Amino acid sequence: MSIVPKETIEVIAQSIGIPNLSPDVALALAPDVEYRLREITQEAIKCMRHSKRTVLTADDVDSALNLRNIEPIYGFASSDPLKFKRAIGHKDLFYLDDREVDFKEVIDAPLPKAPLDTAVVTHWLAIEGVQPAIPENPPIEAIVAPPDGKKMDHGKDDSLPIDLKLPIKHVLSRELQMYFDKIGELILGRADTPLFKDALLSLAKDSGLHPLVPYFSYFIADEVSRNLNNLPILFALMRVVKSLLSNPHIHIEPYLHQMMPSIITCLVAKRVGHQISDNHWAIRDFASKIVASICRRYGHVYHNLQSRLTKTLIHAFLDPSKALTQHYGAIQGLSALGPSVVRLLILPNLETYMQLLDPEMQLDKQKNELKRKEAWRVYGSLLLAGGSCLYDRLRLFPGLLSPPDILPWKTNKKIALTNLPNNKRKASSRLTAHQPPTKKLAVDPTGTNSQFPSTDGPATSSSSGSNPNHHHSHNSSNNNSSSTGNITNANANINNVSGSGAHGQRVAVSNVLRQAWKEDLDAGHLLSSLHGLFGEGIFSFIQPAEMHCFI
Amino acid sequence: MEEEVEKAVFAYLRKKGFRLTEIALQEEQTRLSSDASSLSRSESDAAKYYDGYGKLRSWAYNSLDSYRHELLRVLYPVFIHCFMDLVAQGHMQEARTFFQTFREDHEMMHLRDLQTLEGILSPSHLEEMELARLWRQNKVKIRLCQYSYELLVQYLHKTQSLAMLGVINEHINFEVYPGQPASMSDDSEAVSLIGTSQDLAREINQKELHWGLLEDSVEERMEKTLSESDKTEVDGNKEADTEDNNKKKTDGNKHSTAVNNKKKKDKVVGATGKTIRSESSMVSVPPRVKPELTLPQFPPEVEQSILEDLRNRVQLNSLALPSVSFYTFLNTHNGLNCSTISHDGSLVAGGFSDSSVKIWDMAKIGQPGRASNPQGENGSMQGMHSLASDEAKRPYSLLQGHSGPVYSVSFSPFADFLLSSSSDNTIRLWSTRLNANLVSYKGHNFPVWDAQFSPMGHYFATASHDRTARLWSVERIQPLRVMAGHLSDVDCVQWHPNCNYIATGSSDKTVRLWDVQTGNCARLFIGHRSMVLSLAISPDGRFMASGDEDGTIMLWDLSTGRSVSPIIGHSSCVWTLAFSCEGTLLASGSADCMVKLWDITSSMKALKTDDSKSGPASRLRLLKALPTKSTPVYTLRFSRRNLLFAAGALSAGS
Repeated sequence: MSIVPKETIEVIAQSIGIPNLSPDVALALAPDVEYRLREITQEAIKCMRHSKRTVLTADDVDSALNLRNIEPIYGFASSDPLKFKRAIGHKDLFYLDDREVDFKEVIDAPLPKAPLDTAVVTHWLAIEGVQPAIPENPPIEAIVAPPDGKKMDHGKDDSLPIDLKLPIKHVLSRELQMYFDKIGELILGRADTPLFKDALLSLAKDSGLHPLVPYFSYFIADEVSRNLNNLPILFALMRVVKSLLSNPHIHIEPYLHQMMPSIITCLVAKRVGHQISDNHWAIRDFASKIVASICRRYGHVYHNLQSRLTKTLIHAFLDPSKALTQHYGAIQGLSALGPSVVRLLILPNLETYMQLLDPEMQLDKQKNELKRKEAWRVYGSLLLAGGSCLYDRLRLFPGLLSPPDILPWKTNKKIALTNLPNNKRKASSRLTAHQPPTKKLAVDPTGTNSQFPSTDGPATSSSSGSNPNHHHSHNSSNNNSSSTGNITNANANINNVSGSGAHGQRVAVSNVLRQAWKEDLDAGHLLSSLHGLFGEGIFSFIQPAEMHCFI
Repeated sequence: MEEEVEKAVFAYLRKKGFRLTEIALQEEQTRLSSDASSLSRSESDAAKYYDGYGKLRSWAYNSLDSYRHELLRVLYPVFIHCFMDLVAQGHMQEARTFFQTFREDHEMMHLRDLQTLEGILSPSHLEEMELARLWRQNKVKIRLCQYSYELLVQYLHKTQSLAMLGVINEHINFEVYPGQPASMSDDSEAVSLIGTSQDLAREINQKELHWGLLEDSVEERMEKTLSESDKTEVDGNKEADTEDNNKKKTDGNKHSTAVNNKKKKDKVVGATGKTIRSESSMVSVPPRVKPELTLPQFPPEVEQSILEDLRNRVQLNSLALPSVSFYTFLNTHNGLNCSTISHDGSLVAGGFSDSSVKIWDMAKIGQPGRASNPQGENGSMQGMHSLASDEAKRPYSLLQGHSGPVYSVSFSPFADFLLSSSSDNTIRLWSTRLNANLVSYKGHNFPVWDAQFSPMGHYFATASHDRTARLWSVERIQPLRVMAGHLSDVDCVQWHPNCNYIATGSSDKTVRLWDVQTGNCARLFIGHRSMVLSLAISPDGRFMASGDEDGTIMLWDLSTGRSVSPIIGHSSCVWTLAFSCEGTLLASGSADCMVKLWDITSSMKALKTDDSKSGPASRLRLLKALPTKSTPVYTLRFSRRNLLFAAGALSAGS
């Protein structure tokens, strides 16, 4: 009933030498004890208020006891508010951490330093209603000046409005400096440790890192240009960029212009890391993703961000003098920006580019194996870009993803098969004359069928995007007698372990697909776009279905 | 047979609409019947209160929208009395449960009272606690509109909830008024304990109040001087002479020149080029009153320095904000209890919990003379130098004499004296020139929370834990007047500019204005919800601002006794308030480490237009919030030139 339990009364009674207090007395005392406690607290709060404090101290309780003519409780006075600790296992039980002090210890200890004497300093809190930005005033923005605690500098007190005009020195706190140094050290030295992962997490989550952003952006730019052939460091740097970008507390916009060149460098540099041993493709892919995410997030703020970016990339893509690695990066970057970019910028140039790329991919024409591999890579990325673009287009017309009947499938298969001889890769780009008929054949089934569940669309066409890629890598490894096999095609193997006979056909099919894209180009140029889309849609669509039939 | 008669009687009463009689009859019946079965009653009583109140509560909350707030008013007194009834009957456990269950309904409005009442645990506490006694002995008066009242009576009758009926009959008086229910905002006034506050306040506040400024004050003379000098182009040397002349002829042409003077003053101010003042910001010239106390005369050189200050005063308004010079106390080790700043800002004093008082001379600390450092001060500094040579190491002069924490310090108008009040029940007068204690005033029986010099010097007022405020003259060791009436500690005291009144703020959540001549209460202001910590009265004497523990700032019209605009100004205790010299701005300093500047002119204007409606429609407008660096603001003071001084102790905690 009372917040003072009767057990407490009993304990106190025992402690003052009343061993057997009757429970009735304890029960009667408990409410009164609570009442007196409240009374004393009320008085103590008054004393606290008149000492202009908001924290109750032992002194206040003593003064309150004095007011009531009660002997104060000695031994608890302290100039600072007492620090209570929560008793473990109890929700609202607190105790004072009161250490036992040895007398000898106290005597032997050197005299404590005399406390500083009270002093008064003045400053301008406001001048004609405006707060001057001097250390004595609290900072207005989030950037916190180092907490120097004491305003001992009397000279500064004279800082009149003239001081305001001076640029405010940007001071980095010691903690932030240490943080920055640590991160830098991690990036350059120990990027593979779990600690670095934690650091990335902290970069992505922590607030209060804003003062460091300019330093980071400078650091990244500096290190990227210096470590172009050190892939782990580049990777670490890119991951730092990604973390910074994802930190919700950082306004990174003002520093984007400093960061972008470094990222683009990682994307389209001629040489990134050791060309042979390192998997520089991965960092290009990673950089392309970062670029795309930047464009998505800040594209609306900086109108020319995406246009400038695409301009840079398309330049890299269309310049035949640039290395294939650069082409690859450009294609990846462009395709990461979305299918519409691909459609507008890559597809129109695809035909000419294929003419350029084709000889590079041929065993007989390009003797340098490395170069050839690069070419295949580029080819793969083009395929991927085109595929995703196509898929995107198709998604716009879900009604058109209609299931062909079994029969048309078969006929179509036949067509594909019959087309196979014509479509030797060598000649594929030149055989434009053959394409109108194929297209016609392709268009036919569309007219006839119309009940394919549209949900199947994504799965099939995505496989159309990815599978051919693998086929080609397969193909290339087949073609190359000295296959290094370092191009991973495990997925393709899992999907397509179905005999070597089918293999060849699939290669052919992918050729058809490629043709289809070329047709898309043609269609884009020649026919009205909608009609063209029909054609291409069916082509890519039927093909995996057919493959499905195979398997 | 008897039952039938009863029924008939009830039917008759209902038909005639004698509702109160009906209720009374019912109550009488229940009392009779309950006496008969008193044993069974005591057991089920607790549940009855609980159920009855619970039902009443849900009914009130579900009542018609437009009458709900009126009906909700009934709940709080009923709640308190149910709780007290339960305690009085010895149902401790039930009382506790009841209190805990329903307390949160009332927490917003009555948190402090609830905290106090919560402690009541036995019938003896009811006797002992003042607040409880107040509730038990007085009836609550509630204003309800006709229809709300009918609704309530109907409900009580329908439910036959005798416990509620009993409580309401016994402790509540309804004041029924015809027409529509009043607006929500009047809530605080609608419920009141009879005989304690509101009625008394109404009665008191009908007295006449001469809130005008003193006639023949320096400022008034200054206006005349200016008008004279404007006409004749008298230069500075001759001003003293013209003043003297003016003194003699003031009475004659006082009123006729009042409006004229204002224009002249404007012109002069414009000429000195300090700031542009908009004509509208000027409040109409306040009336003049005669002093009730014999006031000291200022020496001529002091008067001249005041005139100098007045001439150089910066005009402040909502567009021209003041400069704020902040005095930060360092290394106080949580010991600084209070501080004060002299009018010119040259002296700063602090009262500490170690019983000491320290005075800093800012000029001596190496501060080049501030704009407002008058020549009069230099003399005193010289004297202090020679005397305090042995204490040259210390940058301040240490005044020791009290034997308990010092709770307030106050400079005399020209900073030649300092008053300090302490928990040792004494007030001490110190000379700042001699650095010595002159007098110790004993009279209060409990700690003296506040002491304030009058605006003219010579007199001072004190506020104490013994629930009195006292008026003293520096040359007598006994108080001249004792102002008793507050129901709890008097926490702060402030002089009216015309020296005829002093205002006191108290822990009983009221502010009172006392007539210094008679010692009677001249105004009672009710509205704060917690302890009043700071007061300030506008220089024209018409408005008073008060700040409380919760951070609320209220502005009062002294002549009508009404609240102009309550605002939640701060998030923590408002330690200090200050009006600018023309009364256009109010500055408030708080424990939340902020100095805030409020626009008074706009709310006054709104008040004037709204005078007939009497609604507190206008609010104080916040002009500027100036955060300090973890330094709670203890003192604010506008210099005569309208520079704002602020002081506070840096709190090491953050």
